[in-house]
Amino acid sequence: MASDLSRVKKELAECAKDTKSSVQCVPVGGSMTHLEGTIKGPDGTPFAGGVFKIDITIPGGYPFEPPKMKFTTRIWHPNISSQTGAICLDILKDQWSPALTIKTALMSLQALLCSPEPDDPQDAEVARMYKDTYQTFVQTAKFWTETYAMEHMGGGDHENAIARVCEMGFAAAEARRALEAHNWDEVAAINSLLSA
Amino acid sequence: MKVKLKRWHGVAVWKWDVEDDVCGICRMAYDACCPDCTMPGDNCPPVWGECNHAFHIHCAMKWLASQAQAGGGAPCPMCRRDFKFKES
Repeated sequence: MASDLSRVKKELAECAKDTKSSVQCVPVGGSMTHLEGTIKGPDGTPFAGGVFKIDITIPGGYPFEPPKMKFTTRIWHPNISSQTGAICLDILKDQWSPALTIKTALMSLQALLCSPEPDDPQDAEVARMYKDTYQTFVQTAKFWTETYAMEHMGGGDHENAIARVCEMGFAAAEARRALEAHNWDEVAAINSLLSA
Repeated sequence: MKVKLKRWHGVAVWKWDVEDDVCGICRMAYDACCPDCTMPGDNCPPVWGECNHAFHIHCAMKWLASQAQAGGGAPCPMCRRDFKFKES
């Protein structure tokens, strides 16, 4: 079945018109089958302030089949793989309806950031942390947001990295030691500090 | 002044009697046709489900077919109630 690209075109035009929306969607390259969505991390969540990119592929059966979506910005969330960005959300699977659109699907992802479902996880490690040590989850999710989802963050010099780790409540000396041990990979260093 | 009618053309407008303007599946106007048709009119009419939601007949048929292929019943794309054609 050929996908209905005129509908995709219409949807993109509507997205482009609505510049105030906290979700956006633009085509990648010339084709209408590969798109990039962006959503803002909702306020009041550990994802606030972050901008998350979503890779979108329009399958042949669209809109009778759901669009394929995954996060390309790394994120620490029970229903999103911290490794691959794969998303566990029913409307992107068997609960899809052709009355939904790319925009409503992106808005559902935003809603998912507000209310994680740790009992139906995509990332078991994150889900376990969410359920067992919620404060650690919040800290880690915030840290990932700051590291991966904010411009001008990450990739700073070593002192900045140490400062960011210190913000999470670790002493400068142990932050430096952990960062050096993990080749200045902040996430790996944080994880080692948290599990120590 | 006397006018003598020599010739006349009948003109009419038509419109489907549907609440919404566009089909919820293809997002094209009901008074136009679904993406697979070229001419609006009787060949591409709207149909109603028992839940009173309307779609182009071809869009509804494609949705039912795709759900049957997936092995399940077909919910209405709008309200998720079981989609059954309404007897008119």
